[in-house]
Amino acid sequence: MLLLHFFRWLGSTPVANAINDSEWLFPVIESIHITGLAVLIGTIAIVDFRLLGLALRNRPVSQIARDLRPWTRAGIGIMLTTGPLMLSAEPERGYGNPAFEFKMTCLLLALVTHFTIHRRVTASDHASGTTAGGRLAACLSLLLWTGVILGGRAIAFF
Amino acid sequence: MSFLTFCQWIETTSLSTAIREGALYYPILGAFHMIGIAWFGGMVLMGDLRVLGIGLRQAPVSEVLSQFRRWKWVGFVVVLASGGLLWWAEPVVCYKSVSFRIKIVLLLLVGVNALVFRRGAYGSNAAGDDGPVKSRGARLAACLSMLLWVALVFTGRGIAFF
Repeated sequence: MLLLHFFRWLGSTPVANAINDSEWLFPVIESIHITGLAVLIGTIAIVDFRLLGLALRNRPVSQIARDLRPWTRAGIGIMLTTGPLMLSAEPERGYGNPAFEFKMTCLLLALVTHFTIHRRVTASDHASGTTAGGRLAACLSLLLWTGVILGGRAIAFF
Repeated sequence: MSFLTFCQWIETTSLSTAIREGALYYPILGAFHMIGIAWFGGMVLMGDLRVLGIGLRQAPVSEVLSQFRRWKWVGFVVVLASGGLLWWAEPVVCYKSVSFRIKIVLLLLVGVNALVFRRGAYGSNAAGDDGPVKSRGARLAACLSMLLWVALVFTGRGIAFF
């Protein structure tokens, strides 16, 4: 019930009306959202590929993670701004939509994983290049973020 | 036969009909298109930022580019294959979309950028090169690549609207 009120409130905000009144604002926000997707998940995927030993093997994990962190954060910022903006314009597409619920569940788990397990395995380096923990964290991370993409893409079809 | 007639003929093929009318093909292809953008678009972006000396500064340019190259190709194939099939499902809609036409032009420019600028500019990088790339051509190619890439996302998304 609380959630329904929130969605209704979101849809009645001046920002929501502005987006709905404009012909091009929604597509532009959506495009920024997809560009942000590449920045956010792309930089995370690079770290995950390194954790799996598939790319940049000669560089320490912690160095790559540190170098990419500002970009990942920027990506999170872009996504968490443009996402709610789109939702405000079409709250009925989110509320009660199983794809949206799936996406939000994956997003929550992905963010929690990112700031706990993922951060831990990228904080230190091991001589062997990859570790079982690192590979596991990378798989989990790729899986959850891909779940976010699948759920997001599916919102339009429910 | 005009190109429009050709597009109309494509829509009558069984593959086109299957993707368009099947409950799952279209969303799945769309998802693959997105995953390709997310997993590998980031590598295009970070590769370009490395050339400009903005991202991944601690790794040598040549190492970043050579390590990403294979995955960028994988991503390119995934995006192109899923995109091609999505087009095959709705060629007439695409034919009439201004956004799609611009996108195809941009895609050709990406090819030109890769062939003309990048090959020449990136080939000259010595191993162990640190800091930003000094070659003007390489920096220009990196800027163009990022711009084209973002524009491709915008025009791609725009097909649904314009």
